Amino acid sequence: MAEVIAVEGLIKRYDGIEAVKEISFAVKKGEIFGMIGPNGAGKTTTIEILEGLRKRSEGEVRVLGLDPGKDQYKLNRKIGVQFQATTIQELMKVKEALSLFASFYSVASVEVEKVIHDLHLEEKLETYFKDLSGGWKQRVTLALSVLHGPEIVFLDEPSMGLDPQARRELWDVIRSLQEKGTTILVTTHYMEEAEKLCDRVAMIYDGRIETLGKPNELLEELATNYLVFESRDAVGDVLRNLPGVASVEQEGEVVRILTEHLQTTACHLFKEAEEREWEIRAFRFERGTLEDLFVHLSGREEALRLRAAHDLI
Amino acid sequence: MNKIVKLSVIETKMFFREKTAVFWTFLFPVLMIWLFGAMFGQFEVGGMSYSNAYIPSWIAVNIMTTAFFGIGMVLAGYREKGILRRYQATPVRPWMILAAQTVQGTVIFAFSVFVIVAFGFIKFDLHLPEYLGSTILAILLSLAAFFPFGLLLNSLAKSVRTASAISSLALNVMIFLSGATFPLEMMPTALQWVAKFLPLYYVIHLTRHTWNFSPIWENGLDVAVLVFVGVVSIALSSKFFRWSGQ
Repeated sequence: MAEVIAVEGLIKRYDGIEAVKEISFAVKKGEIFGMIGPNGAGKTTTIEILEGLRKRSEGEVRVLGLDPGKDQYKLNRKIGVQFQATTIQELMKVKEALSLFASFYSVASVEVEKVIHDLHLEEKLETYFKDLSGGWKQRVTLALSVLHGPEIVFLDEPSMGLDPQARRELWDVIRSLQEKGTTILVTTHYMEEAEKLCDRVAMIYDGRIETLGKPNELLEELATNYLVFESRDAVGDVLRNLPGVASVEQEGEVVRILTEHLQTTACHLFKEAEEREWEIRAFRFERGTLEDLFVHLSGREEALRLRAAHDLI
Repeated sequence: MNKIVKLSVIETKMFFREKTAVFWTFLFPVLMIWLFGAMFGQFEVGGMSYSNAYIPSWIAVNIMTTAFFGIGMVLAGYREKGILRRYQATPVRPWMILAAQTVQGTVIFAFSVFVIVAFGFIKFDLHLPEYLGSTILAILLSLAAFFPFGLLLNSLAKSVRTASAISSLALNVMIFLSGATFPLEMMPTALQWVAKFLPLYYVIHLTRHTWNFSPIWENGLDVAVLVFVGVVSIALSSKFFRWSGQ
């Protein structure tokens, strides 16, 4: 399939400091492409360079065959944008915002009606933007970004601050856009979102792409597969010396082994258990989540910081 | 074209939803005219009765308040809240936003003139302008000079707080030193000289004179100054327009 976004060696400097350090990737038509990473990793800078809102320092960028740095106005008509901090005027009614943005793109009112219907905005048309809940605000700004039937939609942290229900509804809307052939580039720092929504994910950390691929493949490729079982007899030091084992966690009777070679480790585990007469129960393979992968990639120090933050929540 | 019309209409609607802005724009001048009228209503100023001198002055002041607060500050607020940045990602261009703000400002200003003039007729002995066409031309010229000027000053400000400080300072200095409130003749010579460097001085002079004494073409200096301010501001306001505070 054709590439609609191509980025090669993209660098962005702010006052000599590199916020984006040589990023390269390509997005195919009709894909939901995710960019995931912690705050300050360079996701927003990258997405805003693609939208033509920021100038790049170095590198090649093509969006729908256009250079966003030069052809911003041409590009504006073909892409839809939703910002991280979504604001329109507080005293504007939803209906007015829709008709205003429709006039920007010369969109017929039939099309507007369709978007209202697709996003179920009917009941909120007369509401001021300031009176909408977070979920509805996101939905309205999403509607504004897709009114003109853009070929690519850029969504910067669309589900930030949404409750799980609203997030799921948002995913449905995004998927229905994909069904119409729209390409979607979405940034997020929710692992679950990347895993469940995206066709491919680029993990960005400190201005670099750490890894890129399908969520499934990423999880399989990287050492985030666990053997989990219960046993009263198993000895940690023996387990640690089995082939392929990266780490062993024991909590009471539950043992969790992180390994790079599931099958090999499992085979040796059972052999060892037979010889030593351990009883093994509830044996299963468990797959790590993108969260595990991310922690793994971000290094130990960062992992501890994230865990501490998580505990606070 | 449709974009500008839509923007202007919605902006105007939103202005009337902002209750404090409505108060300051429409009722504050009336209160001031009333208050000063209670104190100086019986005096003559330079051959004009109180209302015929001060109502044209307050029309001039309203041009400035609308320019600075009605449209300039609004734009600075939009910049800070990221609303302009949202527009930046659409086919809208800077000049369209400036044009829409100007149209919206003009509509609001027209309302305020109507309110002040009606008040003048009812409460005082205001007469119609001696040179009606000239007065209208004078006002249009002043709008063309001051709206871009207000937009420019607010574009230069980095934040709403700075914009508000600049606007308030400019407004206060000009209200007191341009003859809008206290007659300039009462002031020391030095201050009278300062007044001549303030653009509002020329607006007030021009509206007062076309209202009471002479047609616009006999007030060449005022016209020249306003044309100059207008041309420079229009040229610069598009150039210095910024979508975001960064």
